[in-house]
Amino acid sequence: MKVLTNNPKVLEQFHSYPAVTVDYRAVSLHELMVLVRDFVHARHRLLTHPLSGSVKPNETLYKSIGLTEQPEDQLCLESLNLIEQSISTVDRFARIRKDIKEEHHQDLQLVDLTLISSAIDSLAAAKPLPGTPPSGSSRLSST
Amino acid sequence: MRLELGYIHITDIRFGDASKVEDGVLYVNAEEVEALVLRDERITSVKVDMARPGESVRITPVKDVIEPRVKVEGPGGMFPGVISPVDTVGSGKTHVLKGAAVVTTGTIVGFQEGILDMSGVGADYTPFSKTNNLVLVIIPRKGLGSHEHEHAVREAGLKTAVYLGELARELTPDSTEVFETLPLTEGVKQFPDLPRVGYVQMLQSQGLLHDTYVYGVDAKRILPTLMSPTEVMDGAIISGNCVSACDKNPTYVHQNNPIVHDLFARHGKDLNFAAMIITNENVYLADKIRSSDWTSNLCAFLSLDGVIISEEGFGNPDTDLMMNCRKITDKGIKTVVITDEYAGQDGASQSLADAHESADALVTGGNANQVVTLPRMDKIIGSEEYVGIIAGGWDQNKHEDGTITVEIQAITGATSEVGFAHLSAR
Repeated sequence: MKVLTNNPKVLEQFHSYPAVTVDYRAVSLHELMVLVRDFVHARHRLLTHPLSGSVKPNETLYKSIGLTEQPEDQLCLESLNLIEQSISTVDRFARIRKDIKEEHHQDLQLVDLTLISSAIDSLAAAKPLPGTPPSGSSRLSST
Repeated sequence: MRLELGYIHITDIRFGDASKVEDGVLYVNAEEVEALVLRDERITSVKVDMARPGESVRITPVKDVIEPRVKVEGPGGMFPGVISPVDTVGSGKTHVLKGAAVVTTGTIVGFQEGILDMSGVGADYTPFSKTNNLVLVIIPRKGLGSHEHEHAVREAGLKTAVYLGELARELTPDSTEVFETLPLTEGVKQFPDLPRVGYVQMLQSQGLLHDTYVYGVDAKRILPTLMSPTEVMDGAIISGNCVSACDKNPTYVHQNNPIVHDLFARHGKDLNFAAMIITNENVYLADKIRSSDWTSNLCAFLSLDGVIISEEGFGNPDTDLMMNCRKITDKGIKTVVITDEYAGQDGASQSLADAHESADALVTGGNANQVVTLPRMDKIIGSEEYVGIIAGGWDQNKHEDGTITVEIQAITGATSEVGFAHLSAR
């Protein structure tokens, strides 16, 4: 799974994880979603929901989204629809600006990390690859 | 499966030398509760406090709300697989301290928790302003990780609710209510001319502060399955989520799920309450496809005529909601979905992040972006420090006169998607 993320904690946690390629970009949440849409246009299929978690798009800076590692034969219209709807939702929330204090960045990164970890656990459970730790091991216990 | 709930009505809560219930008053020995909570070495200190309906008190940030209950007859104990050993619950007799609740508060992450006002306009939005609340302010050991911290707070609340529930064991209930579900074929024969209606409950299952547990199992790892609706009354489902507090189901709401209660109330009158199915709301899209396939197949297998689907949360779960609705409808089964809305502060925007034409019968729990100004409270239990940064709060929302302006998504239970609050629309 290719994980497109602007969350440094996800890069740190999964940069050498066998079944995952982390594509870290230091961009805004909106820019990240648009990059994901570019990948969908380039025939990658979404593997995780772009609106994961209940922290609203205008209350966080961080997002991690899973896509197929390689492009597929055809453009996935369901993926395109989902990312378009998600971008529209993000932009709608952005109209109400909320101040996100720097002291909470770490917590926001942690919550995003646990959300994408749950998807990576599902991936590992479904498609164990050589060298992949067993399901559940991607979850953090003490950070 | 037959369960009798015996209600002991609680009209007040006070500290006392001995924990007991007398003339409708719940007396609590705070030292015993402290000792119980502090048995967990992950917790450094706990402040035991109380909040009663009508008082000028704000509790925040709220993690969970739990109703004290005790099993007095039948297999298993309260919160099986978590506090009591794993055993099938939902039959026999259970006593309930109706009108009392345990509320946990603590800062697991520096944002995103609920407000519970016991009076003023905010009290109208949360059902837990009507209960006599024992509040635990929990301080963890320094350096404790967020997952462990969340687990410790969750367990402290459940253990305290069990402790209080035990006070009801030998009491004679003020009133009783009986709920019974029959095995499948007997259920069909019982009311053959009434439509067979099922309830699909979607459970939060995404990650830290976004999880739910079924008999102690993380709901992310379940396949959709059948439950007797009486099992939830004995604490088979517990909450580990509170982010965006308005539409998350605290454990109390699972214990008192109004959809379950209303379906029982109409069972044999205009419908045949045939089944309860639980499913999840995972982040991984293949999990969503599998779970919605499985859920719709179960509905068809049970020959249901109609299904009520309740969501928990917004965004990612909207996709599960629409998948469930579409696939169940495709089986020729009528559906009603229950959700809430994020329609903007003016209510003019698209309410959900996903949609499908099959979702043509929808009940709303209200618009979570609705703005409300809450009055100053004389007493804060927990900390108001987070009000500006919790969901629904924003910078400069604290005013000089002590009032605060928030979206109602900050208020615990305000837009309940199982209808446990008071908002809706026609």
